[in-house]
Amino acid sequence: MRLHQFSVRDIPRRRFLGLTAKGGLAVALTPALLSQLTSCGGGAATATVLDTDRDMISRVLKKALEKGGDFSEVYIENRISKQIVLEESKFRSGLYGISQGAGVRVISGNKTGYAYTDVVTEERLLRAAEVAAYVASGGTAAATVSLTDTDYKSFVTVEMPLEEIADEQRIEVIKRADQAALAYDPRIKMAMVDYYDEIRGRVIANSEGLYLRDELPLLFFIVQAMSADGKARHMARERLSLHSGFEMFSQVTPEEVAQNAAREAIAMLSAQEAPAGIMDVVMQNGWGGVLVHEAVGHPLEADNIARGIGAFTGKVGQKVASDCFTMVDDGTLPNYRGTINHDDEGTPAQRNVLIENGVLNGYMTDILSARQLGMQRTGNGRRESFRYIPIPRMTNTFIAQGNDDPAEILASTRKGIYVQSLSGGSVNPVTGMFNFTCREAYLIENGKKTVPVRGATLIGSCMDVISNIDAVGNDLAFGPGICGKGQSAEVTAGQPTVRIRGINVGGSKA
Amino acid sequence: MNYLSLAEKLVSKALKAGADAAEIYISAGRNLSVNILNSEIETIEEADSAGVGVRVIVGGSLGFSYSNSLEMKALDDTIAMAVTFARLTTPDENNVLPELIGETAVQDLFDPEIEGIALDRKIAMALELEKMAMSDARITKSSGSSYGESVFEVFVASSAGQAGSYKASGCSLGVSVVAEKGEQRKTGGEYSTRRFFSDLTPPDQIAAKASRKAWEMLDPRMVKTQKASVIFDPDVAGSLLRGVITALNGERVLQGASFLANSMGKQFASPLLTIIDDGTRARSMGAAPFDGEGVPTQRRVLVDRGVVSGFLYNTIAARRAGTVSTGNASRNGYTSLPGIGTHHLSLETGKQSRSEIIAATDRGLLLSGVTGYGIDAVSGNFSGGASGFWIEKGEILYPVEGLTIAGSGDSILNGIDMMGNDIDMNRSFAAPTFRVAEMQIGGMQG
Repeated sequence: MRLHQFSVRDIPRRRFLGLTAKGGLAVALTPALLSQLTSCGGGAATATVLDTDRDMISRVLKKALEKGGDFSEVYIENRISKQIVLEESKFRSGLYGISQGAGVRVISGNKTGYAYTDVVTEERLLRAAEVAAYVASGGTAAATVSLTDTDYKSFVTVEMPLEEIADEQRIEVIKRADQAALAYDPRIKMAMVDYYDEIRGRVIANSEGLYLRDELPLLFFIVQAMSADGKARHMARERLSLHSGFEMFSQVTPEEVAQNAAREAIAMLSAQEAPAGIMDVVMQNGWGGVLVHEAVGHPLEADNIARGIGAFTGKVGQKVASDCFTMVDDGTLPNYRGTINHDDEGTPAQRNVLIENGVLNGYMTDILSARQLGMQRTGNGRRESFRYIPIPRMTNTFIAQGNDDPAEILASTRKGIYVQSLSGGSVNPVTGMFNFTCREAYLIENGKKTVPVRGATLIGSCMDVISNIDAVGNDLAFGPGICGKGQSAEVTAGQPTVRIRGINVGGSKA
Repeated sequence: MNYLSLAEKLVSKALKAGADAAEIYISAGRNLSVNILNSEIETIEEADSAGVGVRVIVGGSLGFSYSNSLEMKALDDTIAMAVTFARLTTPDENNVLPELIGETAVQDLFDPEIEGIALDRKIAMALELEKMAMSDARITKSSGSSYGESVFEVFVASSAGQAGSYKASGCSLGVSVVAEKGEQRKTGGEYSTRRFFSDLTPPDQIAAKASRKAWEMLDPRMVKTQKASVIFDPDVAGSLLRGVITALNGERVLQGASFLANSMGKQFASPLLTIIDDGTRARSMGAAPFDGEGVPTQRRVLVDRGVVSGFLYNTIAARRAGTVSTGNASRNGYTSLPGIGTHHLSLETGKQSRSEIIAATDRGLLLSGVTGYGIDAVSGNFSGGASGFWIEKGEILYPVEGLTIAGSGDSILNGIDMMGNDIDMNRSFAAPTFRVAEMQIGGMQG
């Protein structure tokens, strides 16, 4: 059931799998039960499942449509992952994961049937096809599907392939980050560093004749620094994540990541109580884009539009935001964490301008919602793994570059809150009510950033917030995150510096 | 497949591959979920899955690997990778496996009938639930109902102790609906989660609660920024208090990353606050005979009348703290090392009824929705988005939304001045209604 809100975080250290557990059922079960059933990461030691015989896949696709149905799909995946964790300057653990399997999906009208298996054999796939076909009835049996190789442009380049990187090199970047964080200031008491990499191989084949095989590498690196001065304590976080090879660490060094975390940890030691109530908010460029990811992005995913319950239902072509507001979802930005080349249904990634100068252009679709709404496929059908049905998801989502000078935006704001970074937020996509939690924020007094204030919540309605953005800077930047919608997806969120007039701030001071 | 003997066999293989100590954790299960939308099946999903987690200690260093391929070659590779990875990590004398693997007798974790109940009956129940939730005239749209179930078995074998296993089931039934009025749109959802199919809350009760949650929020107002009492509905108690639980995590305490790190035996909250973690409760979600590394579960009082009385430990964190595991090793299935988590949390009830608490409140917020991350476990501060009902002179006046509430953990937890006697122990964080005397509420400019 869709009782959960949609949420996004700046990559918590330990992905809270209770939130990303299996299917709709997940949200309703306690983590203790789900924990037995969920998994993430992993990959095959030998990439055999991707070599599954194409004729066999074709037979499964045919079997899946035996009872009727409009569309069948076989999705095969293998994932090899490595994770190394350092805490208190000790390498606490190293994790190596293999996860492989396949899912068979059948769409019949508005109905979807899905079954998956860890064991990729013809017997198990045919059984999955039978289960998935439960939703279909009364149609005519399909003809044999002939599969054609499909190849799309890749937006991911790799110079130093992960397979060729010795584990000692992984250890080295972690050590460097730890040392840089601790050396930043004696009040940094501890650093925690998480290193994760994976190679995810996909085979996607469907009854339209598509056959697609590819591999995507992913790296992420999170440094947390904890400061304490006897009076206050703050845990800061900085992260780096790309679909790329190990060259990521020569573009941004582990030291830079660590120093950014340490800087925030020290700055926030002197944080005071935040004021409470409705006030103006200036959001610094970068990960603050999570605000539009939540407030506008999720409500523009077409599944709830097709259900007729989304906050933006029936608003295409209408003015929904202020003139200075243009919002884009783009799965083709080179090597970005949210870049996908093609989505998990085999639709090529593209640049989708969702809102242009305040006018709603369209939604983000997957195959099913595009059919239901009679719209184009936009390349947003994504899935966490073979254990999940693809659903409309964002990729790299951002507010487009504006014309205002960021310094001028701040200087022209008399009083309010300057938000330098957010932990994350969530939205109810039906009502459009959203919330965010600030991790690093400052008071604005007479156009200047003054004292830091403690992690306050910002809340409001998505329709109000995009109408109340009155300044958009010329300094577009991005930050990586994990987006949760019953299953997780790698995303980036971006924005230039923006000002929003009148957001409710959850401070503890009147 | 006999997973227990597979687990034991893999322990010996790991020792042969160079591990000084080895533990194999296997989970295997089946799950099913059905989503209904507008009286039709929207999705139906079914799957079997199984996987193996390998934890090894080599020269005091810890390595872990997992695989969901159970072919012997893949498992051999997985073991080899765990041993290889262990050589990269830092040796630590606290890296040990639990010596005592045992079981607490916990009744009724597995419903022997659940798998025999026909799929059509489960689908019919979800269909009926949606229909009932839509029957109220104020409800205009459905966002779907669903039924889900899972049945799984866990096996743990270790070179340090005996092997053990248990079988458990879970099922859930829920619905979410929309109430509309003009441009307004409000959602309400409710679900029931149980170990046994026959224990699920009757659909009419789930439906009534889901639809009430949606329509009762129509025509909300905004109040001025002010300090006032806040009454926490049982639905949102966990949203506030989970941060306290995180702060009791023994590993965080050792790292100083907890606002309760130095509070053992100290009064940090109102004497009305008692928090219990129970891994032994029959038929309870979260209960199990042993934890994620085979240590028997317990019932423990974590907070006793406002005093910290117990931190949560797994074996490694306990050894470092100079104590023994409290049976709180948690796992994300076979894919993770044991972390630290809770089983079933509940608050001890107080004396007042919910209506007495409301009647005793001169001016305040009856909080039914909170967003945000709860009390921050590191700093102890709290800030969240808030919705609910405004109370004046002991009467509920109107719904409110778009508010914020905030405060320091210290002032909020000490400010609990009324604890209700209404509790539903089937909730994953079971709490009665309680009141915090005063909190900062953010809203319109005053």
